[in-house]
Formats: sequence, C-alpha cells, structure tokens
Amino acid sequence: MFLAKKLIGGIIDVVSNIDPGQFVPSDPPPARRPLAYAEKHENDEEKQFRKVFQQLAGDDMEVSPNELMNILNKIISRHGDLKTDGFSIESCRSMVAVMDSDSTGKLGFHEFKYLWNNIKKWQGIYKQFDADRSGLIGANELPGAFTAAGFPLNDQLFQMIVRRYSDENGNMDFDNYIGCLVRLDAMCRAFKTLDKDNNGTIKVNIQEWLQLTMYS
Amino acid sequence: MLNVEGNIERKDESERENMPLPMGASPMPPGRIGLPSDVPGGIYSAILNRNHTVLDAKRLKNFIELRDKYFSKKVLFEDPLFPADDSSLFYSRQFPIKFQWKRPPEICKNPQFIVGGANRTDICQGDLGDCWLLAAIASLTLNEKLLYRVIPPDQSFTENYAGIFHFQFWRYGTWVDVVVDDRIPTYNNHLVFTKSAKNNEFWSALLEKAYAKLHGSYEALKGGNTTEAMEDFTGGVTEFYETNDAPKNLYSIMKKALDRGSLMGCAIDDTLGFSPPPNVMGPLIDKMLADGQASKPVGARARSGVIITTRLETRTPLGLVKGHAYSITGVDECTVGKNTNVLLMRLRNPWGNVEWSGPWSNRSKEWASLSNSERERLQQQNTQEGDFWMSYEDFIRHFTKVEICNLTPDALEDDTIHKWTVSVNEGRWVRGCSAGGCRNYPDTFWTNPQYRLRLLEEDDDPEDDEVASSFLVALMQMNRRKERKMGAQLFTIGFAIYEVPPEMQGKEQHLQKDFFLYNASIAKCKTYINLREVSQRFRLSPGEYVIIPSTFEPHREGEFLLRVFSEKRNISEEIESKIEVDDPVPIVFVSDRASANKEIEPEEDEEQITNGKKDIIKPVPAKQETEQERLFRTIFEQIAGVDMEISAKELMNVFNRVLAKHKEYKTDEFSLESCRSMIALMDTDGSGKLNLQEFHHLWSKIKAWQVIFKRYDVDRSATVNSYEMRNAVNDAGFHLSNELYHIITMRYADEKMNIDFDSFICCLVRLEGMFRAFNAFDKDGDGIIKLSVLEWLQLTMYS
Repeated sequence: MFLAKKLIGGIIDVVSNIDPGQFVPSDPPPARRPLAYAEKHENDEEKQFRKVFQQLAGDDMEVSPNELMNILNKIISRHGDLKTDGFSIESCRSMVAVMDSDSTGKLGFHEFKYLWNNIKKWQGIYKQFDADRSGLIGANELPGAFTAAGFPLNDQLFQMIVRRYSDENGNMDFDNYIGCLVRLDAMCRAFKTLDKDNNGTIKVNIQEWLQLTMYS
Repeated sequence: MLNVEGNIERKDESERENMPLPMGASPMPPGRIGLPSDVPGGIYSAILNRNHTVLDAKRLKNFIELRDKYFSKKVLFEDPLFPADDSSLFYSRQFPIKFQWKRPPEICKNPQFIVGGANRTDICQGDLGDCWLLAAIASLTLNEKLLYRVIPPDQSFTENYAGIFHFQFWRYGTWVDVVVDDRIPTYNNHLVFTKSAKNNEFWSALLEKAYAKLHGSYEALKGGNTTEAMEDFTGGVTEFYETNDAPKNLYSIMKKALDRGSLMGCAIDDTLGFSPPPNVMGPLIDKMLADGQASKPVGARARSGVIITTRLETRTPLGLVKGHAYSITGVDECTVGKNTNVLLMRLRNPWGNVEWSGPWSNRSKEWASLSNSERERLQQQNTQEGDFWMSYEDFIRHFTKVEICNLTPDALEDDTIHKWTVSVNEGRWVRGCSAGGCRNYPDTFWTNPQYRLRLLEEDDDPEDDEVASSFLVALMQMNRRKERKMGAQLFTIGFAIYEVPPEMQGKEQHLQKDFFLYNASIAKCKTYINLREVSQRFRLSPGEYVIIPSTFEPHREGEFLLRVFSEKRNISEEIESKIEVDDPVPIVFVSDRASANKEIEPEEDEEQITNGKKDIIKPVPAKQETEQERLFRTIFEQIAGVDMEISAKELMNVFNRVLAKHKEYKTDEFSLESCRSMIALMDTDGSGKLNLQEFHHLWSKIKAWQVIFKRYDVDRSATVNSYEMRNAVNDAGFHLSNELYHIITMRYADEKMNIDFDSFICCLVRLEGMFRAFNAFDKDGDGIIKLSVLEWLQLTMYS
C-alpha cells in the first residue's frame, strides 16, 4: 500500500514510463441482449456452453462463488500440466465480485461467459509461457506471460505482483495466476472507464473508493 | 377501462382478511431529459461503471447520432435490441399466427408521424389488452407540454427519415430515451395493436412499441394500471381513492389537485371483470382476423371515437360506461336559488361521445335554475365533444375509483400552479442484510433501510384547525415487470412511519431492534399490497420521523424508489450517508528502508484499542521495551524465523494454531489467500512480509476484532449473521453507507448469509487498509483523491 507513496516519493523516473494506453484489457462485456435474441444467434459451441451453464447455475440461473469454485476445481483436476493447490472460496468470491456488473452477488450468463472466455485465453498463455514445463509461472516467465495477456506492466509492478501472488520461490501457480489476471483486467477496465477525459488520472470520493475496493 | 394486473394480494400486518381494494400510487423524481441511458447511475454507480462498456466506439449511440448515421448511409435502421420477430412480441407462448413486421411506408402511401396534432382520437386500441396504457396516453394528450416531452416532435417520415424514432419515458427517477425502428406488427396490412383513427398516422403505434421495448416485449404490457403508465409519462405520483371509502375532504383534494395541474381520472369498476381471461385469446384473434378481412375503406374519414375493441363493456342507463377510464377536467361549484351550494365535476369520455344524461348533463333542466352569468361561466368551459358536468353526489354514487396523478415541479413551469417539493431516495432490500420484512418479523424488521423525515412547516389549509403538515409518501418497486419472463412477480410492499423521540433526533443512527419492540408506528400505509407502487397521504405535526419501507415477508430481494412529496419543504434522507472511520490511524510512512525503524507505539492497554486511540509515531529504542513487549518480540522471532519477517505461510500457521486452541472458532481455517491479502494490506515497506511492527499492528487489531466477533456470534456457531454485520462493523469504528453494508454482505457472507471468522477478519483488515490509503492520499481533506494508473493498480492489486 505504502509502496505507492514510496515510489512516487523517490524513484519517479523509473516508473514514469507506464503508459495506460498500452494496456489492452479484454473487450468489455457485450451490451445486454434479450435472452431470446441471444439464443437464436448462437452457434453449436455456444449452445453447448449454455447447456453447461444451466446445469452449473442451478435454479436461480446465476453462478455463486461456491458453484464457480466447484467447476474450476473440477476442470483443473483434468489438466495435470497446470500446477495448483485448487481455487479457494476466498479467491472465487473475489472473482465473482469483480465480474459482477449488476451487483447481484452472483454471475449471470453473460458475466460468466465473459469470465470463462478470459480464463480459456489466459490458460493458453500460461501453458505457452511455462517454458520449463514446471506447471508454474516463474518470476522470469511472468512478464512475458502478462504482456501476452495484454498487460505490459513495468518491473516494479511485476515485482509487486510476484510478492503478492507468488510463493517464496517467486513461482505462481495456476489458481493465483488466474485470480491475479481477473482482478488486473477488471481494475484496468475500471480505470479506463473512470478516466473520462483520458488524461491518465482518476478522481474518486470515499464512497466510490470503498465500493470499488471492498467489492473485489 | 382499467386492467388490474394479476392477482391483487393484500396483506395487513395484523393479518386481517380482505379489506376493500386500496390503490397505490407512484411518485416520480425530477430528472435530466434526454440523457442516453447507457451509463448506469444510482447508488452502485461505481461498481456498475467498472464493468461498463468503455467510452469508445462501442458505446450505445443516441437517437440523433443513429439517425444521422443511417440517413447518410441511406439505410433504414434495424434495432438489434428489439428485433422484428416473436421474441419482441411474446415471452410466454408461441402464437399460431405469423405477423408481418412492416414499416409505415410499406403500409400506406403517405405515412405521417403526427397529423393535425396528437390527440385522443389517434388512439384506437388493438388486441393487446393494454387499454390502461392507452387511457394514460389519452390523458396525456390533454397537456401539450407533457405530451411533447414524451413524444419529441423532431421526427418524421418526410425529413431525415431513416426508419428510426424515439420517445422519452420517466423511469425510476430519470428520463430515458428509447429508440425504436419503425417496423410494426401487421396482419393483412393492418396494424395488429394500437393504431390511429387516421390510417396514415403512426405516432401512437410507435409510442406503444417504444413502451413495449422498455418492458422487454409487447406481451409484458398485457394487464396493468393506468397510473403506472401515467407516471412513466409524467414523472408524477398517483394516488387512488375508492369513492365508497373516501376521506371526507375528497372534493377539496380533487380541487387542489386540479389547481396544481395534476392529471385526474376516474372509473366505474365493472364487476364482470375487465379483460378476457387468457384462454379466450383464441376467439379474440379469430374476431380480429375477421375484422381485418372485412373490407375497411382505406382513407375514409374515421368518426372520432372509433374504438376497435373486443372488450366487453356495459353501459348504465344514464350513459356511463363501466370498466372505462374517464378524465376529470373540472371541479367547481355553483349557487342554486338563494343560497344552496352545489358541488360539480366535469368529466370527459375519451371516446369523444357517449355522455352522462342525468342531472347537470348538457341539456338537463338544472341549468335553468342558475343565474345567466353562472351558467355561461360553467358551460363555456365545455369545448370538446364528450365533456359533461355532473354533481359531486352523483359522481360519488356512480363512480367507484378516482386516480390522481400529481406532477412534480419538474413537469410544469406555469407560475400560477402551486408546486410540490419532493425528496427522492433509491434503495435496496438485500437478502441477509436489509430485506427485513414487515413488523410481523421483529428479528429482522429493524434491518430494513430507514429514512429520516423532517417536516418543517404546517401547510395553510383553512379547513383544518390542526397544526399539521401534509405530505405524501410513495414507495415503488422497480424492475419487476421487466423480469416477469423470469417469473418475477410484484412483491407485496408497504411502509410504516415512526416518530423519533427527542433524544434521538438530529442524530443519524440506524434504530435498533429494541426501538421497534417498544414503540408503535405513528402511521403506516393502509395495507401492504402487491402493486408496483404504494402511496398514501398523511398529516403529521412538524417534527422528525423515520420511514421504514419493506416487503411483507423478509428475505425478498428487490430495488425500490421512495419519494416524499409535500406542499411545503421537507427533508428526507437515508440515515448513515456519511462514511467515516473513528480516529483514523495515520499512516506509518516509511520513506526508505534505511529509516525503517520508525515504529508504532505499542498499545499498552488492550481496552483502549476499541476506542480507536490515536497511534503516535515515534521511534522506540529497544532498551525501553516493557516486559510485555519483549515477550511479544520473542514470540515473533520464533514465528518469523531467520529472516525476521513473517510470510503468508507462517502467518497462516500461527493463526490456525491459535484458532485450534479456541474451540469456539472451530471453523475452516484461515486460507493462504486470506493471509496473503492481509499481509499486502499491512505491508508498509513493500517487503511482502510482516516485520515486527507490522505484525504487532495486525495482531492488536485482530485481538480487538475478535472480541467484537464473539459479541455478535450469539448462537456460538463461529459465525456472525450478516444482518448483524452492520453493528459489528460499527463497533469496530467504521461507519458506512447502506450500499457498503450490502457490498460487504455480498462479498463476505456464505450461502447461508453467515460470515465466518476468517472472512470477518479479512473484511475488517481490508476496510481499515482502504480507509488508511484514502486518507493518505487525501492531503487536503476534501474527500476526493486523485490517482494515476500506477497508484491505482498498486493500491488495488496489492491488497
């Protein structure tokens, strides 16, 4: 937290080359369409996905953090090349919070699909950048992976991310990797949205600040 | 013709059976016109905006932009959000008939948007069962200013035509602009739903389409209340009265309403029922087809008042029509003979004919008993066909319902009309946090959102001797009609009003469970009912009150709009709007690693922690440590190991060992993820681990918060119920807004609405960290911080 102040205070030149314009967060969720319209225009793959969603989401047609955790853990159990200790309920709650755009506390179909597509994409990148086939992303593999995912951060930020999301050896396992990217993606998008006049700074009051930081 | 939606279910708090049908009303807040509805506002704006479409080419364009774009491309607009197929028509069934969607230029030679002004004869009902909508449109046509606010006149088929039109509706507090393409359902080249008597005029059909789009489909419009639509067109608040249960001053209420420019309507309940039950739709469609196929002379001048209706309607012997909406256009009185006062009402049948033929009707003998001047004064006001006078007594005797749609100051600019002031509040009932149900559920009733109301002045009603202020409270539930296809029904809602005792006035605290156990409400809505809106007028002496809106049963999630209208000033605001933390701990700022010896002065007294004693930053040389501190340092060194810093894993082990010793926290252990998060939030020097000072700070906090946790874990389940979280968070020194309590519940509670110790601690650590960060950046104390992307990412990612 105070890292920010420290860096601003002292080493401003090194960090000033961050250009928010270089961030390419994923496309924002599509405009909501009436359900019937959406269903008509789906291809087979999408139809299949919808079936899966309906099974997963249950009666309330929304995916809760628990349900998300179950499906994610089921899937990774099938991928031996992704090392992980499993998705925790805490990190799933965080992912749901960050993706929940209508503040229902759970993920509706579009929100879930959006998350899912991102996870698929980032999983591909994980495999690609795990050069030593350790099943983990090492501190030296991280910058490449994140840049490929659309987030060309600088050294300071990468180090900070390693400190927060990787283990003592600087290695990041799959669930932490995904948790981190989901959050990073959302925070970049939030910044872009809040930065209405595109000048690289945002202004928030305490109410907005707390909403954004507590619900993540 | 009033269609009442679904089964009306009334519940009284004392569970009495079957009271006469009261009717609700809805209020409207003033808003901004014509804002494209692409950026969600409201109380969760920050969160909603976070995931909203980024401001670039993907933003939903507004009407002008779209029209110009399509006009210049010479392509007709097709609305992707409301396509020309069955999904826009129905949600609950497939229809045996295939309608053709056609644009007006495909239907007739010379289509016009409006011909000779938009008036009531341009509304001829089709087969949708939305006569309630049309009655509202009919009232609307009486007031040009209001009408052209809903129907922007800047559109036509002849200029800049691109197959796109737009209309504006008031929607839960703001005016929204709804864009539609002009493809309308037809069969055999006739419009299936609402049409104009003039065959080449299309504004009413397009207005209906836009309203259908607002609700998701045409079918969603089936069955409703005139007042719902009246509000959506004007932003006003409606009240219902039943004439057999009317207040004694109903006449003066109506007179006042008219003075204020309100829209008024009345009706006679048709005991045969209004709309045909669903299984009669088949024969209705057949009849419609038959009508359509019978040759209708195209272009023939239609008689005013042509209604193509398949409704059953009954006429009384004196010329009144049951189940039909009339407008009230005059409230007056006259003197008969020497000194007999007769109260009169002037009504209009929207058909433009079929008038009352009893006393005081247009050619009745009663007029002869008036002086010439009086007669002229009253009869001169009859300018339209379909208008007639009747006495107030006859009115009460024959009509059963009166509806008044009061307009907000926003809707009228005439100086001669009195104005209202209105306070508007949006709110939510959140399961597990604030969906408390009514007073029958005392355990949770107190958790409902609470709104303080301060009545400041009495109104000057000469007829009343009491020193009192009159006001109107209207509670509206939002978005239920739109969610109908997912099975949503209207909730049974209502509200109660309590008087705030003097010692609690002026403070902004949320009244607790006890208050409601020992105090009765001073007023409440007549009954809890499943209408879109419940409203009621009250007269209370100036003072401070609290309004509690709720659903009848607890745990029902929904959003609502609470409006308070009064003739004089009032202030209603939700409690706890100020967000603050007790004695915020100043940041321990480490400018570089060399001076990392700055330490927080260790707390000497455990109890003082909960009072939020300010921490003083000053270096504490090792030799001045107390025995207690030395002990703590020893333990720390054991945990931290060689590097003298505690990592996430080490922290987790410590916590879990401690928890294991305390049987009352027999719960899941602290997860590694939680520990990582806590370290990040407490890490002042960017090492990624906790040194002695950082760890001490965290540990002291946790000890204090553990005490609070115990206090609220009443049933020893090792969890705190999310309804109690608000109080727990307050005890920890944080005073938040309702939205933030909701957020905490959504983020940290499990499926059973309980918060376990791990989540409880994480939540508070984060809350404290975020307050600290904000205060650090808010150098000038103005409550706003400015962040670059770097700072933003560090603060949000490193937590």
